[in-house]
Amino acid sequence: MRVNLERTRLLLCDDNEQALSVESAMFRGFGMHRQYKASNAKEAMGIISSREVDLIVMDCGMPDMDGYDFVKWLRTEGPGDAAYIPAILMTGHAARSLVEKSRDCGANFVISKPFTPAVLLQRVFWVAKDERQFVRTAGYVGPDRRVRNLGPPPGKKGRRSTDLSLKVGAAKDPNMDQYEIDSLMKPQKVIL
Amino acid sequence: MSDPNLFKVTSRLSEQVDRPGGMTAQIAIQRVTHEMSAEASRSREVVGESLTQLEQLCKEQTVGMDAVYDVATAVIDVAGLFDERVLCDAAYSLCELTDRLRTQEKVDWSAVAVHVEALKLIYGVDPRNTAQFRPVVDGLWKVTDKYKEPAEEAPAE
Repeated sequence: MRVNLERTRLLLCDDNEQALSVESAMFRGFGMHRQYKASNAKEAMGIISSREVDLIVMDCGMPDMDGYDFVKWLRTEGPGDAAYIPAILMTGHAARSLVEKSRDCGANFVISKPFTPAVLLQRVFWVAKDERQFVRTAGYVGPDRRVRNLGPPPGKKGRRSTDLSLKVGAAKDPNMDQYEIDSLMKPQKVIL
Repeated sequence: MSDPNLFKVTSRLSEQVDRPGGMTAQIAIQRVTHEMSAEASRSREVVGESLTQLEQLCKEQTVGMDAVYDVATAVIDVAGLFDERVLCDAAYSLCELTDRLRTQEKVDWSAVAVHVEALKLIYGVDPRNTAQFRPVVDGLWKVTDKYKEPAEEAPAE
């Protein structure tokens, strides 16, 4: 795996001063030297409103406004295209009361501590390569939470126009014979 | 139920990672190890300060479980970046304990104190040799699981 993060503008936010310093060192190691650092969500909001940022990495547990609320704000009220900036949240302990917030905030990824730098780099790469569509509904804005699209739950009609019917219809035409199949696959020379 | 609006977003990050140049993951990890070694000593001190703070809270017994929870998460916040799994597991058990206690509006300082003593014990040895304390952490979870909420128990057959 080869990555180029030299041009990436990173917003790091953590209320723990030492953790912020270590996280900054970690991302410098990945080649990300263009970093904005914030010690709370309010500062991060100011940076988002005045600077171009390509990736947000934020601690979940912060006083006043936590990481989940920040991402929710970003996705619903973030200025312009900033609403779609990839966001990775880091969590130490997943408090029971915050499980739903974590699921519904719209972050691209929530990563649990402890982790190794290799795992963090993998997650950054995964987020960069993430091809999920964005979803906007009354209650959720963020990447599609269905990482694998297996269709609607059994017995339920899908809400999306792209969801396929549960019923497989009867064949419209007779089956193709082997000659027809072979000729579809037969390599042909093309003169250009 | 409202119809969801789905759309494709191409982030600048996705364009940047594929640009020519950059480095292999292996080199990136080597560089991170070098960058982080400068932070290791101060980070260890900060974790030590949090443990001292927890010890003090146990002695005074004047604050609620919220305050203990906050300091326990501070341990994971820093130690978790150095992949100190055993120390983090012990701190995680303390977070879970205090989260359960505050949810159930209970206080159990002796359970908290057992965790703090174990954390100090684990912190006292080289982070590379903490695997020996795995049974201690298992014991901490037994203490924490005393406060498992009924909903978390497996349903009866």
